[in-house]
Amino acid sequence: MEKSPSSSSLGPMGLNIAQSFFRPIDKAAPLSPTSRRTKVSVIGAGNVGMAIAQTILTQDLVDELALVDAQPNKLRGEMLDLQHAAAFLPRTKILASVDYEVTGGSDLCIVTAGVRQNSGESRLNLLQRNVALFAKIIPSVAKYSPGSVLMIVSNPVDVLTHVAWKLSGFPSNRVIGSGTNLDSSRFRFLIADHLDVNAQDVQAYIMGEHGDSSVALWSSISVGGVPILSFLEKQQIAFEKETLENIHKEVIESAYEVIRLKDYTSWAIGYSVASLARTILRDQRRIHPVSVLAKGFYGIDGGDVFLSLPTQLGRGGVLGVANLHLTDEEADRLRESASIILTVQCQLQI
Amino acid sequence: MQKSSSSSSLGPGGLDLTQAFFKPIQNTAPPSPTARHIKISVIGVGNVGMAIAQTILTQDLADELALVDAKADKLRGEMLDLQHAAAFLPRTNIRASVDYSVTAASDLCIVTAGARQLPGESRLNLLQRNVSLFQTIIPTLARYSPDSILLIVSNPVDILTYVAWKLSGFPSNRVIGSGTNLDSSRFRFLIADHLDVNAQDVQAYIVGEHGDSSVALWSSISVGGVPVLSFLKNQQIKHEKESLEHIHKAVVDGAYEVISLKGYTSWAIGYSVASLARTILRDQRRIHPISVIARGFHGIEGGDVFLSLPAQLGRDGILGVADVCLTEEEAQKLRHSAQTILELQSQLGFVVYP
Repeated sequence: MEKSPSSSSLGPMGLNIAQSFFRPIDKAAPLSPTSRRTKVSVIGAGNVGMAIAQTILTQDLVDELALVDAQPNKLRGEMLDLQHAAAFLPRTKILASVDYEVTGGSDLCIVTAGVRQNSGESRLNLLQRNVALFAKIIPSVAKYSPGSVLMIVSNPVDVLTHVAWKLSGFPSNRVIGSGTNLDSSRFRFLIADHLDVNAQDVQAYIMGEHGDSSVALWSSISVGGVPILSFLEKQQIAFEKETLENIHKEVIESAYEVIRLKDYTSWAIGYSVASLARTILRDQRRIHPVSVLAKGFYGIDGGDVFLSLPTQLGRGGVLGVANLHLTDEEADRLRESASIILTVQCQLQI
Repeated sequence: MQKSSSSSSLGPGGLDLTQAFFKPIQNTAPPSPTARHIKISVIGVGNVGMAIAQTILTQDLADELALVDAKADKLRGEMLDLQHAAAFLPRTNIRASVDYSVTAASDLCIVTAGARQLPGESRLNLLQRNVSLFQTIIPTLARYSPDSILLIVSNPVDILTYVAWKLSGFPSNRVIGSGTNLDSSRFRFLIADHLDVNAQDVQAYIVGEHGDSSVALWSSISVGGVPVLSFLKNQQIKHEKESLEHIHKAVVDGAYEVISLKGYTSWAIGYSVASLARTILRDQRRIHPISVIARGFHGIEGGDVFLSLPAQLGRDGILGVADVCLTEEEAQKLRHSAQTILELQSQLGFVVYP
């Protein structure tokens, strides 16, 4: 097995303790070729990439973790910082290189590379800068891990997932975007916090664009199985549509708020993506709102567009899209979201 | 329970869903006062503080996490970023304030506040800046959580742990420094990587100063129970003392290397401190090399000095120091390390208010 080249004082050049430290038993044979080693590659060692990598490591989801970035010093520093925690973690092989070859044989490739969203900059404004970057990244990733699931986190995630799908040549079930998985978490947090319940008992989806035109599916929100809207009706609690829109707006705003306050977001997206990684790598078959090829669902037509829908995920990637009941208004908004994304997409040259 | 004040659209000002959402059962009573509620406070939300906070959260070690920093915006941003992950984490109450009252009744207070170690700057050079900072932080922290365990991470950790001990008025078993817990991890990683074994099967301590004068206890290193030095002798594998010193130097340099490459260290210290937090809060009674009051051990005299020794940790803090056998040379190096720290310590001027 390949050693981390982190010390030259130990090994053939320096002190070699390895010789005969362990003695093999009689009649042994090398490892069976079918033995599974789970490998995840994270492209981009910035705040988002590293939060994802570290959370995946802490949750013991992989046997091997590869990091890639264009900046070799930063990359090596991050790799060493993770390796130095070896005494506190399950044994995981951690590799890093500016060369994509290090990602070879990955089960899941997570792309976070891209320019950081500036304070006030909408996600769509980042686009042009990131498309050029993807043209260099995606084909290499696909080449070295042709059977991998590709997960895109870079913003604007919906368009970039479409771009990655085109550039990789992968089937659509193996290319997803982190989408509104985190928006939905923020939404569930707001509701759970108000009700003093565990956020995991709150079922609430935000769908569509991971951005300003996302759609809160109020008609399907439930807490511990109690649908919220019917609850409000039965209790005769009056509310204005505007109030619901304000709550949704707060969710959209909250990412911008964190960026304004601390310059970037990292922890929440780290947990969000690790959660998706777990569902995929352990074949959990859970439903997550993630960015998938949405053509044909809920009346979405007009082109190949990726946006977030409640999607069942497993080892093979996308298993299917849940058939939720949407109100007419919700379906309209979803189609409008698709339209907004398609308009931007048409201006792109891939 | 106090709500996070993060939404104004939900609640009395906006849409109030809480009325009658849950109906209580008959004949209930409020929770027992002895109900366990583990609270950890992290002072300083820089890279180190946040890596510690996030690792503690992921490992589900606390019911409540309080963050304190002088920069209100950065603090609020970090708190929100953690809260937004609620759907993916066990329910933890996460709060943040520039006001130390938010730390009240903590079981464990972790202090990371302090200036960042610059590339090339030795830990001892940070000292004066951080001592003044501690004068504003520690007494307040101690007042709000008089029964807490105080864990110091800020560098130079050994002296600052001494300072914290003085300023808090706490008994010595409740004031510890993260010390060489991480250095030892780096050391174990290097050895484990070379031997292709799990680092957790490598028993290896680096003790003394968390810094340039740390001491690698070669005589007590073992792998899967096999003492390394006797192994080398039995196998007649020649080694020069210099090789051992190079390996130790690689550990000391390890932190400086990460700092010169990425600007700071965060992940490893995060895991290291979370590991200490787990041992303390779950009363694991494990042995960790951490900064403790070392007077009286291995001939260390001359004053109250904190430096790393293999110490048994539990819910009450330090339970005792393991009586590891040192060679005469190792003991001398340890005393020299103590001397180095004491010399600097004696130059400090700070006042302890009653």
